Amino acid sequence: MSYEAVGMARHAAEAKPKSKERKPFLPRLGRIKPYMYLLPALISIGFWIYKPLLQTFELSVYQWNLLPTSPKQFVGIKNFANLFGLPEMGIALWNTLIYTLGVIPFSLILPLVIAIATDNIGRKASGFYRALIFLPMIMAPVAVSSVWRWIMHPTNGILNKTLTDWFHLSEPIRFFTDERWAIWSITFITGWKLIGFSTLIFSAALTGINKEYIEAAKIDRASRFQIIWHIILPLLSPTILFMAMMSTLFASEWSFSYINVLTQGGPFNTTTNIYYLLWTYGFQSFNIGASSAAAVVFFLGFGVLAWLFMKLSRKLSFFDN
Amino acid sequence: MEKAIGRKTGIYSASAVKHASLIALALLAVFPLYWMVVTSLKPESEVFTSSLIPLHLTFENYVQAWNAVPMDRMLANSMVVAVIQTVMQLITSILAAYAFTRWEFRGSNLIYGLIALTWLVPFQVIMIPNYVAISGFGWRDHLAGLIVPNIASAFAVLQLYNAFKSYPKTLIEAARLDGASDWGVLWRTIMPNLKAPVASIGILLFITSWNDYFWPLLVTTKLENTTIQKGLQMFISSDGNMWGALMAATTIASLPVLIIYLLLQRQIIDSFVKGGLK
Amino acid sequence: MAYKKMVAATLVAISVLASACGNAGNAGNAGGSNMDAKAASANAANEGTVSSTETKEQVTLKFYSYNLAIASQIPGTEKLIKEFEEAHPNIKIDAIPIPSTDINAKVQADIVAGSAPDVAQLTFDGLDFAVNNFGAKPLEDIVPADEFQSNFEGFSPNGMKLGQLNGKTYGLPFTFSTPVLFYNAKLFEEAGLDPAAPPATWEQVKQYGLQIAEKTGQTGAHVGGATGGDWIIQALIGSNGGGVLSEDRKTIKFGEPEAIGAIEMWQDLIKSGANSKLNDGEAIEAFTQGKIGMLLFTSALQSSFLAASEAGGWELKTAKMPAFGDKPTTPVNSGSALFILTDDKAKQQAAWEFLKFSTSERGYTIITSEIGYLPLRPAIVDDPNYLKDWVEANPLVKPNLEQLESLQPWVSYPGSNWKQIETILNDSVSKAIVSDGDVASIMKDAQERAQALIQ
Repeated sequence: MSYEAVGMARHAAEAKPKSKERKPFLPRLGRIKPYMYLLPALISIGFWIYKPLLQTFELSVYQWNLLPTSPKQFVGIKNFANLFGLPEMGIALWNTLIYTLGVIPFSLILPLVIAIATDNIGRKASGFYRALIFLPMIMAPVAVSSVWRWIMHPTNGILNKTLTDWFHLSEPIRFFTDERWAIWSITFITGWKLIGFSTLIFSAALTGINKEYIEAAKIDRASRFQIIWHIILPLLSPTILFMAMMSTLFASEWSFSYINVLTQGGPFNTTTNIYYLLWTYGFQSFNIGASSAAAVVFFLGFGVLAWLFMKLSRKLSFFDN
Repeated sequence: MEKAIGRKTGIYSASAVKHASLIALALLAVFPLYWMVVTSLKPESEVFTSSLIPLHLTFENYVQAWNAVPMDRMLANSMVVAVIQTVMQLITSILAAYAFTRWEFRGSNLIYGLIALTWLVPFQVIMIPNYVAISGFGWRDHLAGLIVPNIASAFAVLQLYNAFKSYPKTLIEAARLDGASDWGVLWRTIMPNLKAPVASIGILLFITSWNDYFWPLLVTTKLENTTIQKGLQMFISSDGNMWGALMAATTIASLPVLIIYLLLQRQIIDSFVKGGLK
Repeated sequence: MAYKKMVAATLVAISVLASACGNAGNAGNAGGSNMDAKAASANAANEGTVSSTETKEQVTLKFYSYNLAIASQIPGTEKLIKEFEEAHPNIKIDAIPIPSTDINAKVQADIVAGSAPDVAQLTFDGLDFAVNNFGAKPLEDIVPADEFQSNFEGFSPNGMKLGQLNGKTYGLPFTFSTPVLFYNAKLFEEAGLDPAAPPATWEQVKQYGLQIAEKTGQTGAHVGGATGGDWIIQALIGSNGGGVLSEDRKTIKFGEPEAIGAIEMWQDLIKSGANSKLNDGEAIEAFTQGKIGMLLFTSALQSSFLAASEAGGWELKTAKMPAFGDKPTTPVNSGSALFILTDDKAKQQAAWEFLKFSTSERGYTIITSEIGYLPLRPAIVDDPNYLKDWVEANPLVKPNLEQLESLQPWVSYPGSNWKQIETILNDSVSKAIVSDGDVASIMKDAQERAQALIQ
C-alpha cells in the first residue's frame, strides 16, 4: 500500500487544468468518452472498495453472526457503545501504539542515519548495496514469517544458539511465545522488511537535494553536524514527513501478516493489534457488528490522522524548492 | 560516529565506516534468505547444526516439501492469478490514465480523488462484505474469486497517470492530425513509447499479487484451489517443525519473485522508490 | 522490448521448472498414489454400476477433516477414506484438510458462503453451537431406530455421550483422545527414578520433575493444554472435584475453590521449577528431542513420539493422568466428532454410511493403529481380527484405553460466545500459571467475564 499514498500526497496539491478544451469531433460521444475509458477501473473500485465500505458502515449498527439462518438484528449505536468496554480493545489499542512507535526506528531513524552517513558512496558500490538491502521488501510476508520463525526458534534457531554462545543465556529467549518478547519480535520483523526500502527512499531524496546549499555552508565553516541539522534535515523534511505518515498509518497493517502466521495475537493477546482484532471478531467469533463498528471507528480515526499529516506536509512543502 | 572519525582522519576511514555500516545492513537483509536456502539444502542430520554451509548438499527437503502439499497446483494457481491480475490491472489503469491525461471532463478531479483515496481503506475494513459478495457469486474456492476483486489497482492508475503525463502533448496532437482515433492514439502512439514504465509497474503488480496472502486465506479452502502463499501457511501449521522441508517450501514459494528480482532488480528498486516518492 | 522478453523468458523458465518438478515429484509419493487410488476406485465404481442390478446414485460428500492437516495423520486418514470408497463405490469422499484450530470457524464461514461441507469433523467444544447454528442433523432423525440400536451395540456408552445434546446424538465420536502422561524412561533412569513406577499424583509429578531437572539438567515436566482448547483444564478441574459449567448449563463455575485449587497446583509446578515455561508447541518439540522428562498431553501424539524416541535412542512410556491426592481423576476427551450437516436426503444417507464405517470395528482399527486415537468399541482391543495384535505390540496405548472408563465429556459452552468463553478460560489459566499472582482473583475475574457472555 506504500506507493498509493504518495500519489495521493502528490496530487492533492496539483490537479489543475492542463490544456485548453478541444472541440470534440462528435460533441456527444466526445463528452462521454473519458467516462467510457474510466469505466472498467471505476466499476471495479466502486464494487470492491466503496460498496463494501458503505456496507461495513451499515453492518456496524446490526448484530449478526453472518449465518443466513440467524436474523440481522438492528441495534443502533450499541456496537459502538460496547466497543471500548471490551477488554481486548484496550490491549489492542495499546499494542497498536507500540507497533507504531516501535517501527519508527526502522522506518525513519536508522534509515535516515544510514542514508546521510553513506551519501556519496560511489555509483557502483551503491548499486550493489541497494540490490541487497532492498531484498526484504519484495519477499512475501508468509515467507518472511516462515524464515524468522526458524531463525528465532527458542531451542534450535541460529539466533538463540548464537546468543547463548556469546552471552551465556541461562535459558533461551522464546521470541514468539514469551509475552515480554513477542510484540518486539513482530515489530522487529516488520521493521526488518522496511529498513532497506526506507533507506533507499532517503538516499534518493538526498541525491535530489541541491548541493549548493551544502557547499555554501561549508564555505561558511559550518560543522558537519550543523550542516545536517540546519540544511540536510530541513531539506529532507517532506520525505521524513511522508515516511512518518506511512509508518504511522500502516505499521499495524504491515505487522498483521506476521501476527497471523507467527503468534495469532498471543500469548495472552500481547501481540493483537486493532486490525488483528477486526479479523478475529470477523472470522473467528463472527461478531460482525463489533468487527464492523471497530472498522468504522478506526477507518475514520486513521482518516483524520492522514488528513493532519497532509496538512502538515503542505505547510512544510516550501522546503521542497 | 561518522562525524567523529570522518572529519579528522581523512577520506579512507570515512569511507571505511560508510562501507562497514552498509555491509552490516546488507548482511541483516540477506542473511535470513541465505539461511533459508542453506537450511533447505541440508540433510536432516545437519539441519540443527549452525554450520553456515551445507556440508552434505541434498535436495531431499525439496522432494519432501513437494510431496507434502500439492505444490505444483498451488504454484500454477499463483502464476495464473498473478499474471491475469497483472494484465487486467494494467489494462484498466492504462485506460483510466489515458482518460485523465487526454481529456478535461466534469468530475475528473473528484474521480481522481476517489481512486487515490482508496489507499486509506485497509483490507480488514472491507473484508466482510467482500467475503459475502464472493460467496454470493459462488466464487469461493475458485480462481475467479481471487482474480475478479483485483482487476483494477488504484496504485497502477496513479503511477500510469504520472507516466502518461510525461508524454508530450504535441505528439498526440500530431497523431490526431494524421487521422488517428483516440483508441489508436493510445495503443499506437503512446503505448509503444511507454513500454518501460508500464513494464516496471507491471512487475510491481505481479510481485504484489504473488505475495498476497489474506484474500486467498479467506476465499479458498482446498489446497488444490489456493495459492502458494496460503499453501505455505498451511505447511507451517501442519509440518512446521520439519524445518528443512519448511525452508524448502519457503524457498519454492519465493523463487519466482527472487528470479525476477535477480534479473530486473534495478528497475524494480527504481519503480518502488519512485512509486514511493517523487 | 527487453523487459517483455525477460519477463516472458522467466515465466517460461518457471513453468518448465514447475512441471518438471511436478513429474519428478509424482513418481512414488503419497499424494500421487492417492490420486491413483481415487482414480482406481472411480473405475471400480463404474464397473460396479454396470454389474450390479440396482443402480445406485453417485454421491459425493464434501468432508472437512483436521487429521488431514496434521502431517503424521494424513496417511491413516487417507487409508480410512480409501477403504470406505472401495466398499461403497457409489460414494466419493471429497476430503479437505483444515487445521483443527480453524475448523469450527471455517464451517461457519462456509455456511455463510452457502458452501457448507456435508460432513465435518468438529471439535467437541463446539457441539452446542454446531447443533444450534450449523443445523447439525441428529442421527436419530436420519437412521431408523432399529438400525441405530443394532449399529451401536458394543459402542462405549461413555463415548456415545460425548456427542449428545438434549438427548439426541448430533456428533459421532471420531478421532478422539484423552490426556495421558508421556514420559522419557531414559531421563527417569538418569535421574535415579524407576521407569516402571510413573507418578500417580501431582505431588509426585512435582517431586520427580524437580529430581529430573536437578540430576539431568533437562526439563522435568510439562503439562500441556493451557492454550488451544480447554479440555485439559477441564480434566484438571474435574479431577480436583470441580467443574466449569453447572448441570443446567447456565452458570460458569471456574472461579470456585476446586477449580482454583487445580490451577494453583499447576502454578506451583511451574514456580517450583518442576514444570517448564515452554508453550505447548515448543514442549512437544523438546519432548521429541528427549529434553523433557514428563509430558501430559493428548494421546494422539503417541505415534509421533514413538517414532522420535526410536530415532533418538530413548524409551517412551505412558501413564494415566495423575490424580489430586486420592481424589478420582476425570480425564476429559479432546478431539472431534463427525457431524452431518447436509440437508440433502440422499447425501444424509451416504454420510451415515461414512459415519458408520468410520466408527465400525474396522474404522476404529485404522483410527487407533494408524491415526493414533482411541477405539470406542472396547471389544476390538481383544479381537485378533482387529486390534489385539496391535495393542500387544503397542502396550503404550493401555493407560489411554483404561481412561475410557472414567471419561468425562468435554463440556461445550452454550450460546454463540462459546469460543470467547473458552478463550477466557485458556487465557486466564495460561496467565495464572506462569505468574506469581493470586490464582483465585484471576479465576474469579474470568468467571465473571465468562458469565456475562452466557446468553
